[in-house]
Amino acid sequence: MCRNCGCSLTPESPGRVIEVIQDLLAENDRMADHNRAHFDSHGVLAINVMSSPGAGKTALLEATIVALKGSVRIAVIEGDLATDNDAVRIRSHGVPAVQITTGAACHLDAQRVHQALHTLSLATLDLLFIENVGNLVCPATFDLGAHRNVTLLSVTEGDDKPAKYPVIFRASDLVVLSKTDLLDVMDDFDPGRAAAALQGLGGGIPLIGTAVRRAPSIGAWLDWIDAELHGRDGAYRSVPSRKPLSFPPPPRFGV
Amino acid sequence: MHELSICQALLKQVNHVAADAGCEHVEKITIAIGLLAGVEPGLIASAFAVMKSGGCAAQATLIIESVEVRVECAVCGAHSSVTANRLICSACGGYRTRVIAGQELCLLRVELRAPVHAHSLN
Repeated sequence: MCRNCGCSLTPESPGRVIEVIQDLLAENDRMADHNRAHFDSHGVLAINVMSSPGAGKTALLEATIVALKGSVRIAVIEGDLATDNDAVRIRSHGVPAVQITTGAACHLDAQRVHQALHTLSLATLDLLFIENVGNLVCPATFDLGAHRNVTLLSVTEGDDKPAKYPVIFRASDLVVLSKTDLLDVMDDFDPGRAAAALQGLGGGIPLIGTAVRRAPSIGAWLDWIDAELHGRDGAYRSVPSRKPLSFPPPPRFGV
Repeated sequence: MHELSICQALLKQVNHVAADAGCEHVEKITIAIGLLAGVEPGLIASAFAVMKSGGCAAQATLIIESVEVRVECAVCGAHSSVTANRLICSACGGYRTRVIAGQELCLLRVELRAPVHAHSLN
């Protein structure tokens, strides 16, 4: 029997065309929404931290943990191709850390984060950092369920990175210029050019500087976290849950 | 190489569409990739060529439609076609823009092969 209409003759017409129009990341996005619902139900702010390898993500998180110890309950999910070195570093500060080793995979996805969540007690947390795999390309495409995306750009990289990797920088709610204590020896890095390249991506994405080694300076970063945790009126977690800047994409086919 | 993950998701969706239609062979698959989707069409095509084997799409061709980036200006309201790393209003030069096209990563349509022996009377 014909499976379309139930008639007893199947047409010998050419093949059928089925219009689908479905996001290829629909399954990931469903899981990301599920993760976000978990965070929301426990009042946990989740921040996805991205950058190229070696931009100082773990070092910034370590400094953040030290600065906020006693006032904000933090945990970290660490994504790396191999080793649990970063999770060990985080745990040495007395906060829970879950290491996801992705093997050959170049990014975290919502499913991997969901599995990691099963080993964390969200009820005992205020703030969860998800440190993505060091990579300026692949992580940008996958919503993890975090409320905010933060991308680090270290001053030991090129100041034109936002123009070279527009997808990840545009997906950011905040860009952190890291290792600013090295600016005096990095003659060819111009923070003004980095800011201009970022501004070229539209949307007015804020840019702040941090340093955690020679001359520690993370005040602007801590202020941003505080504002995200407490909202403008100071009420704890009054910031409404929302997806990062570029997720979900706007209505399809505006062209 | 996140294109492998995306190709895997594509084939899964195509399998569902074909199974729902009771079809075992897919002729053609059309997807849209925006220039700001962060996905390289050439790598998707390479991944597809390898990963399609053994399934309902083993003989299928993949058509990739590219979607240009367009922004809407929050200040003057103009719509402009822009490059992926210059999301600035072409009319007034403002940077307070919203991307309205170019992030697509989407399965558009699946063309199923007609049955070879079509007549089956119950």
